[in-house]
Amino acid sequence: MIPTIPAELLRLLIFTVAILAFVSLNALILVWLERKLAGHFQVRPGPFEVGPHGLLQTLCDGLKLMGKQLVAPAAADKRLFWLAPILAFAPVFLCFLPIPFGPTLLGMEFEIGVVLILAFTGLSVLATILAGWGSNNKFSLLGASRAVSQAVAYEVPLLITVLGIVMYSGSLNFSEIVAMQGSWPWQWNIMLQPLGFFIFFICSLAECNRAPFDLPEAESELTAGFHTEYSSMGFGLFFFAEYTNMVIVSSVGTALFLGGWHGPFVDGWWWFAAKVYFLIFVMMWMRWTFPRVRFDQLLNLSWKWLIPLALINIFYVAVLVKI
Amino acid sequence: MEKMAYIAFGFYTILCLGGALWAVTIPSLVRAFTGLVISLFGVAGLYFLLAAPFIGLMQILIYVGAVAVLIFFAIVITGASREARNRSQTSKKKRVLAVLAGFVPASFLAMTVIKYSIVTTNNASPVAVADLGRALLGPYGLAFELISVVLFAAMAGAILLGFKRRQ
Repeated sequence: MIPTIPAELLRLLIFTVAILAFVSLNALILVWLERKLAGHFQVRPGPFEVGPHGLLQTLCDGLKLMGKQLVAPAAADKRLFWLAPILAFAPVFLCFLPIPFGPTLLGMEFEIGVVLILAFTGLSVLATILAGWGSNNKFSLLGASRAVSQAVAYEVPLLITVLGIVMYSGSLNFSEIVAMQGSWPWQWNIMLQPLGFFIFFICSLAECNRAPFDLPEAESELTAGFHTEYSSMGFGLFFFAEYTNMVIVSSVGTALFLGGWHGPFVDGWWWFAAKVYFLIFVMMWMRWTFPRVRFDQLLNLSWKWLIPLALINIFYVAVLVKI
Repeated sequence: MEKMAYIAFGFYTILCLGGALWAVTIPSLVRAFTGLVISLFGVAGLYFLLAAPFIGLMQILIYVGAVAVLIFFAIVITGASREARNRSQTSKKKRVLAVLAGFVPASFLAMTVIKYSIVTTNNASPVAVADLGRALLGPYGLAFELISVVLFAAMAGAILLGFKRRQ
């Protein structure tokens, strides 16, 4: 694991800084985009006042957020309370390492990149737990236990569908999986495993706690769930992590199912970016058009429908591979 | 480069031992659980250092991602109190015995390792995941299947216990 040449280390450092910049910029844009889309979908104004078309709105929001005081409840477990948002945000950088944004544009050629991402996205569950418990608040704890049962339920079909792709391409390396797919849409994995992509997309929505699966937050009944007690950047980091996770799952979906940086005419990172942001757009679209599910419905959907369907998918892939 | 490896080794060892110590000494249940997680992270780091990234990631995926979450569930569902209040004061004799119970196997292992030190090469080459898979399904197929049987038995037992309590 230790890079043998310092040049490699330097490259990683530059990549990390670039990712940090990208993540911050991306969060700014996505928040603005979400509010604009919400405005259009639900025929209401949305941000309009600050800057042209409200473009500076999220910048001001960010400043406002940072200007607020950091408050922790008196009876909270302070160390765990502040550890949680950091733990939610820190693994994000590692998850970007093996994703190939372009033919040469990636942090590190990693033979088992898929496992790396699956391992480190699981840490966000831990962060949620610590946040919920550390807050010393019943709403937070309820929100956290909901989040955990949701994450556990949806991780199973997610893993099984990813396994389908891994079986088909015989590799855990993102670059190889992308390289195996062709430039045209009918050469992408999604054409071979449409069911797999469907399950993957639903599960990734649930893993990101995006509507219609945003039950851990549940503003109406749990008063924001596990991050009820967080003020200022404590909340900000959770928020950041949510938007960054959206990018990560969309990137993984793009690399596994949509041909990655391959695209008609000219291959390159622009195709990757276009596909990722298209998937994010679909996520936002779903958020503002679908009603939130009830909690028992959410668990039933995973255990009774998605897992059996994922198993059917993997059986189908096994037959496909043998033929 | 070698110096960096030593530094990393020291760091992971401190993480392992510190986390473990935290886990057994702190009264708060969830804090102890965090200590355990830190310790498991240290172990994952050691795997990375041994040029076994796959095992290291599996350690994070399974132990930190899954088992830790399970433990949390157990803490919440069983309604354990925030602090382990009913800790009885352990007697001195018990403490000495506990230290001995930890120390004896450790010193035995250390002696064995020092006496019959394993021949090491300077650079361990990482095993390719494909080879690992082939080994697990080929020569170690039986062991692999037995592990799954054990896991299945554990799950079935958990479900059985859960249903019994509800009635």
